[in-house]
Amino acid sequence: MTQTLMNHMKGDESPGGVRDDTWSRLLMQVGQERSQQAFARLFGHFAPLIKGFCLANPSSSLPGEAADELVQEVMFKVWTKAPSYDASKAAASTWIFTVMRNCRIDMIRRNSRHQVNSADVEVDDIWDEELDHQPFVRLQQARNEEMIQRSFATLPIEQKQALTQVYMQGKSHSEIAEETGLPLGTVKSRVRMGLKKIQASLGKR
Amino acid sequence: MIKHHPDHNLLTEYCAGTLDWALCLGITTHLHFCSECRNTVAHLNSIGGSLLAQGPQEQVSQDVFTNLMAQIQARETAAVEFVAQSTEPPLHPSISKDRMLTNLPKVVRKLLPKDKALRWQTVSPNLKMARLTAGQDKYEVAFHRICSGGKVAQHDHGGLEVTVVLKGSFSDGDGIYTPGDFLVRQPGEVHRPTAAQNEDCLCFSICEAPVRLTGLLGRLVNPFLSVKPA
Ligand SMILES: [Zn+2]
Repeated sequence: MTQTLMNHMKGDESPGGVRDDTWSRLLMQVGQERSQQAFARLFGHFAPLIKGFCLANPSSSLPGEAADELVQEVMFKVWTKAPSYDASKAAASTWIFTVMRNCRIDMIRRNSRHQVNSADVEVDDIWDEELDHQPFVRLQQARNEEMIQRSFATLPIEQKQALTQVYMQGKSHSEIAEETGLPLGTVKSRVRMGLKKIQASLGKR
Repeated sequence: MIKHHPDHNLLTEYCAGTLDWALCLGITTHLHFCSECRNTVAHLNSIGGSLLAQGPQEQVSQDVFTNLMAQIQARETAAVEFVAQSTEPPLHPSISKDRMLTNLPKVVRKLLPKDKALRWQTVSPNLKMARLTAGQDKYEVAFHRICSGGKVAQHDHGGLEVTVVLKGSFSDGDGIYTPGDFLVRQPGEVHRPTAAQNEDCLCFSICEAPVRLTGLLGRLVNPFLSVKPA
């Protein structure tokens, strides 16, 4: 365990690690120095990606017209929460992904009939950043992002599709099954297989 | 030692934000206890980040940026007067004095009523339950408390039921469950939990549909068990 941890720490200092990527560095500047210039560059890069995400998944509770609203809300959260961002814990893209996911859930809940207002639990209580406070996880995860991107590209098309539908289009496994006419078990196993392969490629390093 | 974890599909839906709110409460509670699943969640989040980074791009108009900077400016000005309220409000004395309800995971603590006591209902001689308000109406979210050594009447599940052990332990035909263990019962599964002899067992549970008690005792207490999501 100690040996593994040491290796991870060593790896973490190596050049080309995700820690060194431009976006993570800019996000650190936004958090630590409150740099509006760095923030403008982050906006230029991530706002079109967030909008692309939203438009790829127009739903009744989050229609395409809400895309700009989502962009503004996510980037506002990015600004306000940036001081808690830690580049050794996650790459900027992962951190912004989680901020975007939470904003999307918030917006959908605001528009939903199912929501009951009286509860004190908020989105950030469920997807709680404090639960990530583990040095071992941090180091490992930050270095893995690039590997994940590479192994994702090599997945069979149906596994890639299933993972994209889950993550990017925000669909539950049973919604995907309904829409594609595939058995739920098939959808689940495609997601699982895809994840397994990504996981395996991380182990192989 | 945690032996029962949510499966990868549940954790993926949790990370992608597509899992039902109430079930997410159960996952977060488990994560509080389980570093292994926290690790998995970190990986699953980074997959989301990778997908975002290489996803489609759509042009965003300059107006959005202008509006955003105005919003940020307004907040920076207001922030001077803003006093952060990070302290949690005090709990009702009946809750803070209950040894079983201390040191609960944060997300569960948030579900406790602030200005009133929990309403414990007797489901059967060894089993009490208290419903919690959880901001959704699809599942019944509740505490279940089994007396030490108590057996719960055999019952089956009309819908999905997720249980996370918070305090103490219980066992059934399949094994022993200790704090942090995450159990999923599918509709139609019959089981009969028994709490350990030395202490009460407190569980956090999320039920989709009424739980039916089977057997003679079951028929007597069944009326108490209608699901009232809150
Ligand atoms: Zn676990």
